[in-house]
Order: sequence, then C-alpha cells, then structure tokens
Amino acid sequence: MIKAQSVRKVFGSVTVLDGVDLTVAPGEVVSILGSSGSGKSTLIRCINGLERLDGGSITVDDFDVSKPKELAEARKRSGTVFQMFNLYPHMTALQNVTLAPVEVLKRPKAEAEAEGRALLASVGLADRADAFPSQLSGGQRQRVGICRALAMKPRYLLLDEVTSALDPEMTADVLDILAKLAKEGTTMVFVTHEIEFARTISSRVVFLEKGRLVVDLPTEQFFAADGGLANPRIAQFLSKMRKD
Amino acid sequence: MRIDLSLLVPYLPFMLEGALLTAQVCVLALLGSLIVGALMAVARTSANTLLRRAASIYADLFRNVPFIVQLFFFYYGLPEIGIYIDAFTTGVVALSIAGGAFTSDVIRSGILAIEPGIIEAAQVSGLSKTKVFSKIVLPVALRTSVRPMGSVFINLILTSSILSTITLNELTGTAKIVASDTFKPFEVYVVLLIAYATLTYLVSLLIAALHRRLNRDLGEAVR
Amino acid sequence: MRYTEFTPFDIVLLAQGLGVSVGLFLATTVIGLLIGTLWAVVRFYRVPVLTQVITFVAELLKNSPVLVQLFLVFFGFPAFFHINLGPVEAAVITLSGNTAAFVYVIAVSAIESIGRDQIEAARAFGLTKWQVLRHIIAPQAMAFAIGPLTGLLVNQLQVTSLISVIGVMDLTKIGNILNLRTLKPFIVWAVVGVLYYLAAKLIAYAGATLERRLRAHTAWKGL
Ligand SMILES: Nc1ncnc2c1ncn2[C@@H]1O[C@H](COP(=O)(O)OP(=O)(O)O)[C@@H](O)[C@H]1O
Ligand SMILES: [Mg+2]
Repeated sequence: MIKAQSVRKVFGSVTVLDGVDLTVAPGEVVSILGSSGSGKSTLIRCINGLERLDGGSITVDDFDVSKPKELAEARKRSGTVFQMFNLYPHMTALQNVTLAPVEVLKRPKAEAEAEGRALLASVGLADRADAFPSQLSGGQRQRVGICRALAMKPRYLLLDEVTSALDPEMTADVLDILAKLAKEGTTMVFVTHEIEFARTISSRVVFLEKGRLVVDLPTEQFFAADGGLANPRIAQFLSKMRKD
Repeated sequence: MRIDLSLLVPYLPFMLEGALLTAQVCVLALLGSLIVGALMAVARTSANTLLRRAASIYADLFRNVPFIVQLFFFYYGLPEIGIYIDAFTTGVVALSIAGGAFTSDVIRSGILAIEPGIIEAAQVSGLSKTKVFSKIVLPVALRTSVRPMGSVFINLILTSSILSTITLNELTGTAKIVASDTFKPFEVYVVLLIAYATLTYLVSLLIAALHRRLNRDLGEAVR
Repeated sequence: MRYTEFTPFDIVLLAQGLGVSVGLFLATTVIGLLIGTLWAVVRFYRVPVLTQVITFVAELLKNSPVLVQLFLVFFGFPAFFHINLGPVEAAVITLSGNTAAFVYVIAVSAIESIGRDQIEAARAFGLTKWQVLRHIIAPQAMAFAIGPLTGLLVNQLQVTSLISVIGVMDLTKIGNILNLRTLKPFIVWAVVGVLYYLAAKLIAYAGATLERRLRAHTAWKGL
C-alpha cells in the first residue's frame, strides 16, 4: 500500500503540493491527470524519495520515505519509469536492467542476466540486449527503461509521462506493454496525457489542480457526466486534451 | 654552421634510458593525478562546505604557483620534517599533486555534465550513494574526461622536464649531460625539442583513439 | 660573514626578484603579443611557405618543454651561431618566442571564429583585405581572444620561473639563494609561492576587468 497523507511540497515561495492525500492498494492502476505544472511529477518524485517533503507523510508498505533508513526499503518496493528514459549511457540494455538486481538485491549475476534477457525479450528487445542506449530508438529506450524498473520485481510501478517523448508509433508500442502489465495485475501509479488509454487501463483516476488533489474517483465515475465531468475544470481539461 | 648529428649516435642508448625514466615518471604521475583529482573532485562536489572549500583552495593554489617552486618546496622541505625520499619519488609526488589540481577540474566538470536524471534513476533503483558514485557517476565522468585528461597528460610530460633540476636524469637530464660531454648543445637540444614534440604528438593521437573507443557507446552526445 | 637567520634585507631581495620576474614577464608578453599577432596576419594573407614555417615552429614551441627551449637558446645558440648571449637575453628570446607561439594559436582561432560570410560580405562591398582585418575582424577577434589570452598570461608568468635555472636573478632564484642560506625551505618556498600566487591573481583580475570593459563596449556598439 502506498499512503500519502497531507503531503506538502514547497519550492521557494511556491507551494507545489498542498495537502495531497492518496492511497494506492495492491492491484490498483491509478492514473494521475492534471494540466502541466499542477504537481504530478513532484508527487511521483515525493513517493520515490527524490524530493524531501515539507509536510505530511508518505509510506510505501509502511516504510516512511522521509526516514533515510526506511527509504532504502521503500525504494526496493517501487520502480520508476521516467519521461526521458534516463538510461545509463555507458551500459548496454542488459547491463541497465541487471545493475540494481545484482548490486541492491545481491542476485547472482548469471541469474539476473537470464532474467534480464527474458524481460527484454518480453518487450520485443531480445536481439537488442547488448546494444547501448545511443544505438536504440526512443521507443526501444523506454522499453528498456520499463524492464529496468521491472527487474527489481517492484510491488508498485511509478510512471511519469513515459510516452511524452515518443512519437505516436512508438507510443503505441509502449502503451501495449503497459496494458499487458495492467492485465497481469501490476500495481501502477501512472501520470499521463493519454486520456483514452488511462480510461481503458485504470481502476481509479485522480485529478490534480495547482497542487491540490481535487477529484479521486473510480474510472467509470470519473468519466461519467454526473461524476468527474460535472466539475467544469475537469470537463475543460479533458476536452482540451482530446483536441490536441 | 653545419648540423652534424652523427656525433650523438653513441649517446642514443643513454638518452633512451632517460626517455624511459620520463615515461615511468609520467605514467605514475598520471595515475597519481587521477587518484588525487578524483578525490578532490568528490570533495568539491560534496555537500560538506568545509571539504568543498578546502578542495577548491587546493586546486586554486597549485594551479597558480609555478611547478618549480612546488617542486623545491617538496624536494628541500620534506627532509626537513624527516621524510627522506629520492628525487624520483619526489618528482612523481609533486607532479601528481600539481596534475591532480587540473585533473580535479576535469573530473568535476565531467561530473557536473552528467544528466541529473541518470543519477536519479540510479538512486530510485535503490543503489547506495557510494554505488551510484562508483557505478554511474565516475565511469560516465571519466569517459567524457578522456580528451581533457589527454591535455593534462601532455602537460605532465612537458612539465616532467623540470625534474632535471632536482638531479633526476630523465630525458632532459640525460640531454644536459650529453650536451656538456659533446660540446654540441645546439644539436642536442634541437633533437630533444623534436623528440618531445614527437612524443606529445603521438600521445595526442593515442588519446584521440582512446576517446573514440571508450565513447563509441555514448553516441552523438559527446562527439 | 654568514647569515643563517632571515634579515630585513631579505625582503628587499624578494622584492627585487619579484621585480625581475614581473619585468621580464611584461616585456616578453608585449614582444610575444606583437610577434604572435604578426604571425597570425601572415597566415591571414596566406603567404606561401612562410605560413607553413610559422605553423610548424608554433607547434614545435607549443609541444616541447620551455626548459628545453631555454637550454637551446642559452647553451645552443652561442655555440652554434658564435654569438654572446647573457641569461637575461636568452630568457627574453625564449619566453617571447614561447608566448608568441601560444598567441598565434589563440589569434588564429579568434580570426576563424568570425563567420566567412561576414568577411565575404565586407569584401563584396569593396573593402580591401587589410580594411576587413582592421575594421571587421580585429575588434571581434579581440573580444573573443581576451579570455584565452588571460589564461595564457597567468600561465606564462609561472613559466618565467624557469629562467632561474640559467641564472637569471628572478623570484625563484632569490628563493634558491635564501633556501641555501637559511636552510628553512618551507618558509622560503611558501613565501615565494604566495608572491607568485598573488601576481597570478592580479593578472587574472586585470584580464577579467578588461574583458568586461570590452564586452560592454561591443554590446553598446551593437545597439
Ligand atoms: N526543482 C524545482 N524547483 C523549483 N520549482 C519546481 C521544481 N520542480 C518543479 N517545480 C515547479 O513546481 C510546479 C509543478 O511541477 P511538476 O510537478 O513538474 O508539474 P507537472 O508534472 O504536473 O507538469 C511547477 O510550477 C514547476 O515549475
Ligand atoms: Mg511532469
């Protein structure tokens, strides 16, 4: 269970997250929607401990991310996929995937590599395992990024606009993989601008506005005329997203 | 005024010995510079203010004081406090410390040039601080540092000639002896000049090749 | 009479040494700037043979130890050309030539930093090559070169310390004398080092100020 309670985050004089409450139970797929600058990335970065909280608390399976000792445990339980991939440039796809299992989980190298290759094969990259990031297309890089997160067998997958840097064709490849993961029951917290996709795979949708979590509804209700859409801001946001 | 180099032929083996000593000194000093430079670069990018301040004072000081002054400081000073080391070791130590000041700059900018997202990816995957540094930060910084490190190495080679002033018979030291033995200083020093220029040219070719090899995986970003 | 303690007169000695170092530095800087710029102009006019010779000599001087260049001039020239050269003259020749080589390289890249199209446009207006150089290239190249030149001069000040090896009474030589007399190497070389350090900082400061002025000036003209 990921539990965020009254989370506050301040940059200088700007309050970026203002009392956010969010709970994600195992098996859920939660989409975070909201216009640019509303604090979606910051929320993800608070959950994986990249930002220090200025108020409230976040626990991942009861491990408090604000406590350095517990953060390590919390981080073992969640995996992050980044918008800009952030692959290690000096390592092959396979090395990117096996680094953390070997160094953090102390898995035997051969085992980690066999699993890494299987993971890469499952996203259609069997023959690219020994390629360096610079030799891969954007879509391929992001698939490696997903494998890198999955290799740690995380209970929660955090994804921040993982298709925003990709062109439509590659976006489809990556979304297919995420849909498959969702179907297999992977728990995901998922920032996206792909509204239709969010609608098909999420169990819940939350909406952030200026650092406040204003709506938190099951997917069907969120998209229902008398549910989320009743909120004029959300209706406006959705129609704008659909137009783009 | 004719240049006659045949007189120097018998001295070639002697000068080659000197060249070998120069090579030894420079390779050791390069390793020393890398170690000192990496430590100082870590200090200069650390969160500890005192450490950061101390490391940047070190870099500033040793870059703005002539090497020969630093060398004399160690060569005449160390015995004073009971440390007796030979000219060779003194030379390597002094070159490493001076080279380290430049190397720390090179590595530091290599570290600062790394995409922060890459380091964050390593952090959230659960790698400890030291692992993030040794597995991600340092290797990436070192690879992009090959070319500027090459300039540092070439400077080490040129600077090592100054070690002849503390009685070390490296390449320049042997040449001095040959010049006074043969009474042909012009010929000897012309040959020496060309020898150093050739040596540094070959080293620069080697560095370019190493850079290409190490960075072939990093793609266009570094080229 | 033999003094082993420091005396007030040592301060005068140090000041004299510093004066010699700074004086020679300034003189060779001016000469080096003139020669180096002249070489760059020769290259700009693409004078055949001469351009190649200059480039070769500059590379040779850049890629060999100054100490060896100094030995070549001080010991080699008199023996080969049958002329008399004192240590100061040899120092002036060597340091000027060395500075010129680096100035040449900086000037060439400064000139090359200016777009071909600008030069061609000016030529199309009927300006002579000299007018283009004088009015179009020189002001821009100056603004471009001032940063690298400052770095060069900070370095060349340190290089002057090598002339102590051929007996010029510069700051380092005074350091040697005091070191031998007082047998207090740490104090002597630390003081000498601090003096060099302060002089280097002064040059860097002057360069930065000049750069700011030049930048402000060109920005103003651009309006
Ligand atoms: N490191 C930072 N320093 C200052 N402001 C930041 C920083 N990171 C994010 N912000 C600000 O916080 C707000 C929310 O950013 P972000 O979480 O990236 O929004 P989103 O991902 O929803 O587009 C923005 O106004 C952004 O400018
Ligand atoms: Mg964002």
